[in-house]
Parts: sequence; structure tokens; C-alpha cells
Amino acid sequence: MSVKKTTTIVEQLRRAQMSELLAMNKRLDGRGLKDYRELRIETGLIKKANGSALVSLGNTQVIAGIKVEVDEPFPDMPDKGLFICNAEVLPLASPYAEPGPPDEDAIELARVVDRGIRESEMIALDRLVLISGKKVYAVFADVSVLNTDGNLFDATSYAVVAALLTARVPRYDVQDEKLVKSEETIPLPINTIPVSITMAKIGNSIIVDPNAEEEACMDARITMATDEQGRVCAMQKGGSGTFSVDQLNEVASLAISLGSEVRERIRSSVASSTGGGANSIRSMTS
Amino acid sequence: MSRLMSEEGIRIDGRRWNELRPVRIEVGVLKNADGSSYIEFGKNKIVVAVYGPKEVHPKHMALPDRSVLRCRYHMLPFSVEERKNPAPSRREIEISKITREALEPALILEDYPRTVIDVFIEVLQSDGGSRCAGITAASVALADAGINMRDLVAACAAGKVGGRIVLDINDEEDKMGEADMPVAYLPNLKQVSLLQLDGKLTADEYRECLNLAISGCMQVYSIQREALMRKYFATDKRGGDEGGGGEEE
Amino acid sequence: MSKRYVLPGDLIVEGNPHLKPLANVIRIGDRLHATRIGIVEISQNSVKVIPLSGIYVPRVGDLVIGKVIDYSAMAWEVDINSCFLGHLPAQDVFGKEFSPGRDDLTKRFNIGDVIACRILNFDRTRDPLLTVADKDLGKISEGEVVKISPTKVPRLIGKRGSMIQMIEQLTRCRIVVGQNGVLVVTGVNKDAVHVAVKAIRMVEEGAHTVNLTERVKEMLQGVQVGR
Repeated sequence: MSVKKTTTIVEQLRRAQMSELLAMNKRLDGRGLKDYRELRIETGLIKKANGSALVSLGNTQVIAGIKVEVDEPFPDMPDKGLFICNAEVLPLASPYAEPGPPDEDAIELARVVDRGIRESEMIALDRLVLISGKKVYAVFADVSVLNTDGNLFDATSYAVVAALLTARVPRYDVQDEKLVKSEETIPLPINTIPVSITMAKIGNSIIVDPNAEEEACMDARITMATDEQGRVCAMQKGGSGTFSVDQLNEVASLAISLGSEVRERIRSSVASSTGGGANSIRSMTS
Repeated sequence: MSRLMSEEGIRIDGRRWNELRPVRIEVGVLKNADGSSYIEFGKNKIVVAVYGPKEVHPKHMALPDRSVLRCRYHMLPFSVEERKNPAPSRREIEISKITREALEPALILEDYPRTVIDVFIEVLQSDGGSRCAGITAASVALADAGINMRDLVAACAAGKVGGRIVLDINDEEDKMGEADMPVAYLPNLKQVSLLQLDGKLTADEYRECLNLAISGCMQVYSIQREALMRKYFATDKRGGDEGGGGEEE
Repeated sequence: MSKRYVLPGDLIVEGNPHLKPLANVIRIGDRLHATRIGIVEISQNSVKVIPLSGIYVPRVGDLVIGKVIDYSAMAWEVDINSCFLGHLPAQDVFGKEFSPGRDDLTKRFNIGDVIACRILNFDRTRDPLLTVADKDLGKISEGEVVKISPTKVPRLIGKRGSMIQMIEQLTRCRIVVGQNGVLVVTGVNKDAVHVAVKAIRMVEEGAHTVNLTERVKEMLQGVQVGR
């Protein structure tokens, strides 16, 4: 049964301050309405994974790992590889997080991130086939949230995307209908870089990249993923409020323009990232 | 042209681009429930029950200033081609959540503090667009339960099939088409309370699709109205009786 | 005046700031919208909707018929057919001198007892406070309990009690009507009660139909009661 959870209670004083500032196009943390928080991406820090990325978006911090296995394709899609995305909020991520099976928020998170990547066709699944109808690559993306401060959707999406972009998978040779693993590794076949942009509606203001405090005060939320051609590939409205059609047109334009900005950030981070290991978690929270 | 769309713009089930599947709604189908409804939306067959507002168990779940809304979207094992495990899947958990969030803005929950309202959506037979059909039927059942509402909620999807933006995606179009965008709409308040998208749309297609989906919601809304009017006012064809409902003691 | 039927969300009036929204009407901007399925009633300066469905929400002063479902050392819990549980303090029955050590609550009302009571206080933040301290209130020890939709109670009573009085007279039964939709029917014999219940059901099902009083009367006159 789906039930709204009571989240952080924001002091009425702060709430009043927030709406006062929003009326002047400002935010409590000093950002403009359309500014996202500092985004840091580091890839390749988990050597046991085929690909990995640690992303911090302000104080929200997530880690994604890619594991690639050889599996059988789905019977109705014999010529497509598999992509499976999971997410969890670790018990250490906030005072409110609790261990246990993923709750509806974590399930929604995983499904929305999955949708952006799948629908944009980021991974060329048809190029993950080793033996048609029998053997394909199965790409597992697992994301763990390390610290929550709002907008888990975007942080998680960027982490999975960065991890996929830098993943290396073993190359297999086919000999007599059998797979022979080679020493060589190859990157995953990538078509496009999808970028998720999450916006919140508080009163009549639309803000980009809400933090936890803003999420606790928001009326509604919307996440939009766009591809390199500026097409919208996936969307999800959340929260107990509504949007007008005008607002939905506004958020779409924002998602497209900010999306291309963030896409360049991801591209350059991925190109320059060296993978410093566990120390980097410390350095990122400074 | 693809298999899904003929040269003449006729879809796989014979509809035109802007045509809804047949929709039928019945109100008050379950005796025990405080409100209930049954909807057929294309091949979807869905029954919805509303219980409440009622006391909350366990008590600590209650909120001091408003009612708690709980929703469950569930598919029966025989509702799909291959038997579905009756335990709630991740998809059902997500749909339960977005359904609740689509209905919540329409309900005046502040009128019933410390209580709970349960909405049960059971899909007996599924087709494309079962979440929209479920939300549509749930809104009717909530009105039937006499819970204070700001508006009804009507839901309908639009999408892209065979290169064209079309209304109300069915099962085959959902599986083979390019994009599916379910929308829920509050017709009097002109607000969107559910919006999802699977598939690629350009910025222009996105706007077109959203507007088409809303026009579909308005058609669904008129069917909701007819169903409720039929249930509550049908026998009164010649105006009111002396007592009406107003006077007392 | 012809009746106007509304559904939740329906616009009732626009741009009239002098009209006050009363029961089941909300103001959004300069528009008044209905929040329930029902019939619009516009007076000189206010608008309300008489609802046709919904549970009972207590109002101060209402007579309700409840069922005792639990008791503590200090009070009874009463199911009043609502989302809120009725609360009847022991002092209401035993007086100021009530002592939890001396007085046994079950001596007065026990679990399962049907009682007629009035809503003494209710503001939605706490459970409704009940009282039995008035004539005709208290334990009901005979009769048949009938439940109808609380929204149909006004119709069952009728204008100045016309409907309920007619049923009572023609069936020679006594009907205690709780605003919460719970009724107790007592009569000279089982047949009489049966006919009265049939009439009540007729009113419930046809609450909004034309010439209801006439049709109920016809039905009642067609059966011989208590002779």
C-alpha cells in the first residue's frame, strides 16, 4: 500500500523565509531558482566493478557500480542484451533511513533512473549479443545512496551514466558455439548520454535540483531525462501537488537547456577522472 | 508506414489518431465498500473500492491535521498473458505511489484528521493504460464514497506510434510504439497531477502529446460525469420532490 | 425552482464575493465549487450542497445512536457509525461524585449495548464527546436496529418530520432516528416493524425521486398492520 511518509519537518520560520526568498527569485542556500548544486563526478574508483562512479550533488552523495555478466536473453528479445538497474538508500545515508527491502521511494528511484537510460537507448543493447538467442551481456547497475540531501534522482542518474561510460567489459570470442573469454576488455557500446533534470514546484516557483529542505516543502516534483538531440525520453511527476500546462512547458525547456550543460560536465569529468580510490570519498565531502 | 499505423492513418485496432477506446464506468458495484466503481477501458477491466475515512490502525500512523491516503494498485495473476505472481511487483509498487500522488491533490484530506482513506485498485484484465483507467475509476469511487474533493481526476495517455502522436495507447502500441505518456488531469482546476513518459519525443512533440492527452482526459471526464449522474440522479427525470433532501425536523 | 445537481469540482457560481461557501462548497479564487455529489442550495448570501453520499461526520447537538464497544476505568467508547469514535465519560452518567474505585461502569452500559446519545462537543481534533444526560437518551433495550446512509436521514425525516411521522402513524411503530444513520424501530409486533423497515428502505433508495411521500403512503396503506 502506498502511503505518504512524514519527512523532515521544516520550521515554519524557515518555510516562511523560503517562500519570501522564492518570491524574489532567491533560495535559502543562496542559489538562483535555475541553479543546480556543485556536481562532482569521479569514476573508476572500484576496481572490482566493471565500471563505477561516485557522484556528489551538493551534500547528496551516491555511488554506482556496474557489473557485467554473460546471461541468456529474454525469450521475446533474443537479439538484445540486458540492462538491470537497482537502487537502495543505505541505512547510513540519513538518520531516517532504515535497513530492509527497498521501499516505494527506492523502487521509484531505480525505475525512473532505469527509464531515462533505457528509453534514451544510451546502451546499444543490440550490440551486446554474443550468440543470438543464447548468450548476451547482462549489464547490472547498482546504486547506493551514501548521504541524502534531496534530488536523489539526478545524482543517481549521473552516477549510473558516468559508470556506464567508463565501464570496461571482457571481450569474448565465439569458437564452435562456445564463448572464450579473452584478456582484452572493451567499452560498452554507447549511443547517447541521457541527462536527468529534476525540478520542484514550491508555491508558484519552479526550482531546479531541490535539496532535502526544499523537497520537504515542495508541492510537486518532476524529473525529465533528455538525450543529445534534445529530445525528452522519460519523465516522472511526483509529490502530492499538481502542475499547470504552462509550468510543464517551462520545465521541459529547462530540462533540455540544462541537460546539455550537465551533459558537457559529465563528458569532461569522465574524460579527466583518474579514480583515486576510497580517499576520494573524504575529499568530496569537504 | 509501420504495422501499427496504416497509410490512411488507421491504427491497429481500427481507431483514428485522436480516438479513445470504448470506456464504460459503473458506480457502486461493491456492497461493503464506502465507495466503489468498475471500469472497462479498452480491454482493461478494473474494480476499485474505497474504504473510509475510518479509524487508523495502527494508531501512530494517524496524522493530527489530515487524513492519511493509502493506495494499492494490484493485478490479479490471471489478468495478463503469462500468470503474474500475486505478490506486488516493483512496477505495481511504483504505480501505487504515482496513483496516490495523482489522487491526493483532488482530495480535501484536512477535513478528516486522524483518519485513513484506503483505495484498492484491482486489475481483473489488463490492457495498455491500466494505470490511467485505475486512477479514473478510483476518482469516481472516491466521489461515490462522499469524500470531500476539490475536483475529479480523469486520466488518459497519449503517445507516439508509427511516427504519429496518437491518443490512448493500447497494449500493442505500448509494446511496439515509440512513446507512451500517461497523464492525469483535474478538469475544473486545470492541473496535471500525473505525468510520466517512456520514449523519445522532441520538444514540439512533447507539447503536442501533452495537449492531446489532456483532451483525452476531458473525454474521460465526461464519461465519469455520466456514470455518476446516472447512479445518483437518473430516476429523477422530472425535477425535485417536495422534501428533496434538505429539510429536516 | 429547479434543482441543480453537482459533482465534486463543479463550478456553482463565479464572481460573487458576497456569497459565503457553507457545507460542501469551497472557494477557489472568485469561484465557488462543489466538493460532493449533491444538490445545490443557494440562499441570499450563502451556498451549500446537500450531499447524497458519504459517511457521518459528527455535529454538536446531533442525536446519534451508538454501540458501546469498549470501556476503561473512566469512560465508554461508543461506535457512532463515523470515522471518529464517540467518547462518553463516566462522570456524565455517575455525576461529579464518580469514583473509578467505587462505581462499576458495566453496571450502566456494557459492551454491545445500544445507546441513544447527543454530541456534546466536537472539533475534529479530538474524538466527539457524548452525553446521555437528557430525557429520551440512554440505553435502548428493545427494537430493531436499522442502518441507512447518513445522507438520507434528512429525507427520511422529511419536512417538519412529515415523512417519519407518516411512517410511524401508518405502521404504529416508534422510530428513533440517529443523525448518524442508525435507527431503532419498535412496534406492536414483528410484522409492523417489518413494514416500517420496508418503508424506510423505500425512502433510502428513492431519496431523490418524485412523489416519494405518496408512493410510501400507498405502499403502507396497501398492507394491513397490527390488526
